[in-house]
Amino acid sequence: MKLPEQVTRLGIVIAVIVAVVLLLRFVILPESLFSARPHQAAAAEREMAKPLRHAGVAVCRECHEEQFELKYGGKHRTIGCENCHGPAASHAADENAAKPPLPREREACLACHGYDSSRPNGFPQVDPLEHRPRKKCVTCHDPHDPVPPKAPTECTGCHGRIEHTKAMSTHALLPCASCHAVDAQHMTEPRLALPTKPDSREVCGRCHVPGATDPAASKVSVDMAAHGGTYVCWECHYAHLPEGRK
Amino acid sequence: MGFIYPNKSTWAILIVVYPYLTGIVAGAFILASLVKVFNVVEVQPIYRLALLTALSFMLVAGMPLQLHLGHPERAYEIFFTPQPTSAMAMFGFVYLWYLLGILLIEIWFEYRQQLVLMARQSRGLLKGIYSALSLFSKDLSPEALAFDHKASKLITIIGIPSAFLLHGYVGFIFGSVKANPWWGSVLMPIVFLMSAIVSGIAMVMFLYILLSLVRNEKLDMRCLDKIGLFLLVAIIVDFVLEALDYIHRLYQSEESIGILTQLVSSKLFLSLVVVQLLLGMLLPLVVLVLVRSVRFNEELRKLLYFTTSLLILLGIFSMRWNVVIGGQLYSKSLRGLMAYKMEITGIESLLTALALLALPFIILAVLYRLLPPRWMESHSPTGIDRPTGVLT
Repeated sequence: MKLPEQVTRLGIVIAVIVAVVLLLRFVILPESLFSARPHQAAAAEREMAKPLRHAGVAVCRECHEEQFELKYGGKHRTIGCENCHGPAASHAADENAAKPPLPREREACLACHGYDSSRPNGFPQVDPLEHRPRKKCVTCHDPHDPVPPKAPTECTGCHGRIEHTKAMSTHALLPCASCHAVDAQHMTEPRLALPTKPDSREVCGRCHVPGATDPAASKVSVDMAAHGGTYVCWECHYAHLPEGRK
Repeated sequence: MGFIYPNKSTWAILIVVYPYLTGIVAGAFILASLVKVFNVVEVQPIYRLALLTALSFMLVAGMPLQLHLGHPERAYEIFFTPQPTSAMAMFGFVYLWYLLGILLIEIWFEYRQQLVLMARQSRGLLKGIYSALSLFSKDLSPEALAFDHKASKLITIIGIPSAFLLHGYVGFIFGSVKANPWWGSVLMPIVFLMSAIVSGIAMVMFLYILLSLVRNEKLDMRCLDKIGLFLLVAIIVDFVLEALDYIHRLYQSEESIGILTQLVSSKLFLSLVVVQLLLGMLLPLVVLVLVRSVRFNEELRKLLYFTTSLLILLGIFSMRWNVVIGGQLYSKSLRGLMAYKMEITGIESLLTALALLALPFIILAVLYRLLPPRWMESHSPTGIDRPTGVLT
């Protein structure tokens, strides 16, 4: 069957469009428009061209076995040597060519252990103005095995964040022990003996019932029988900052 | 107001205009297909008008997206770097297919005979334009004309699912946002599709009456009544679907129902309850039923059809607004309502939206001059023309 004349003409137009598209896709437009590979290859090449500056823990260990063992048994086992001592590739190549620094100033430790409210609760943090000011950390702590020389006696030793919050609240003057019973073991092995939390409403009720002796607390007194159903108080109220809202 | 950050309203008025324009394209095409595929003879007088309307709106439909995204010079990249996991990216292909594969080819076959004749009868630049538009084709033999007719019928048959795809897709984009309870619904594509058909039919009806007034031509009342009937059916289906959507939401009473109720009864009350539902849907529904059951005279029917089509066009625009802007008027934490303040000037502004809404009419005016739909009635030499109004 012979194709009608107009179909041939339409066919030519469509063929031209298809040809232009194919030409654009496979000849004219650069490959980098379609694929991330050229970018990745360029980035890899750029990075590969940089000189190696770190030696790595395994190389340090070859000569400094004693320090490695000490560190490996302590709390800093996951921290690489060069985190504190700086890149040591040149020292590893020739031990006399460059000596890695020995950071002894307080700032080196405070980078991780200075108080910062965003750090996790329980992470060892100190307030540098209160904690042995002007004394070098390394006089009491061995950085390779940084166990404190003696167990902390105050809750703030580990729970600085809570202490900071509580200090701004109406509960500032309440000692931790007025609500938590803390076993002595918790001070040396914190995870093995957790402190208690109030398990009944009477703990708060000591101050917050009508007619309580404390004049400040009786201002926010509640009827324990009518208020809050069967919930324990701290399920709704944050006791370290009761005026804040959950 | 803690709930405001960070969900700021980012899809503004241009994203309202975009589904509105696309819907009219799909609706106008489906109306045109009634003539070709379903042999509805009465609607023949508006067949070409419906096609030209679809083309005019189609040419503008992508512009709001280009303006919203910026960098229109990069638009071609979606065709060269296809991203099959993104519905938005694949839409470029749906749009392209519908424009190049369906609409232009159908219009070309439909107009080829007229283009050849116009090229013969005109001179100078116009002759060149018509010759080029007819792709320099000259064959007007009965076999060639019969082929044109068959080809445009075949393309319409492929075109119906394509038109459904074009607008069902727009609903799909919103319906698949599962994090937004106002949007995320499987009914969304089909609600969008039905409202598209309603708006397309209403737009062609509006244009048909308007053009007859402007050009002082006689309206074919049989045609107008038939369009009115299709409009009525489409509105009923659209109404049922939207009602089903709302009833379903109310009955399910998911956690979002509180904020959505608050949204509908406060921020969207005017645009949803008053404009979309009462003025844009129920009032036209009542009028169209009345027109069919009471014997009004021609002039009154014309007036009622004209007003109804305008109300429906307003109502569907309002529906797009309620979906796009409404979906961003409450916080995603479901805790409160937010505000949308429309810019007056600038890229995403009222003025741009008005310009984009006016542009299809300007394009249509040019197309109407260039390709007069009723030219064949007065110019065709006898013997090679098929009379309008009769289908072979």
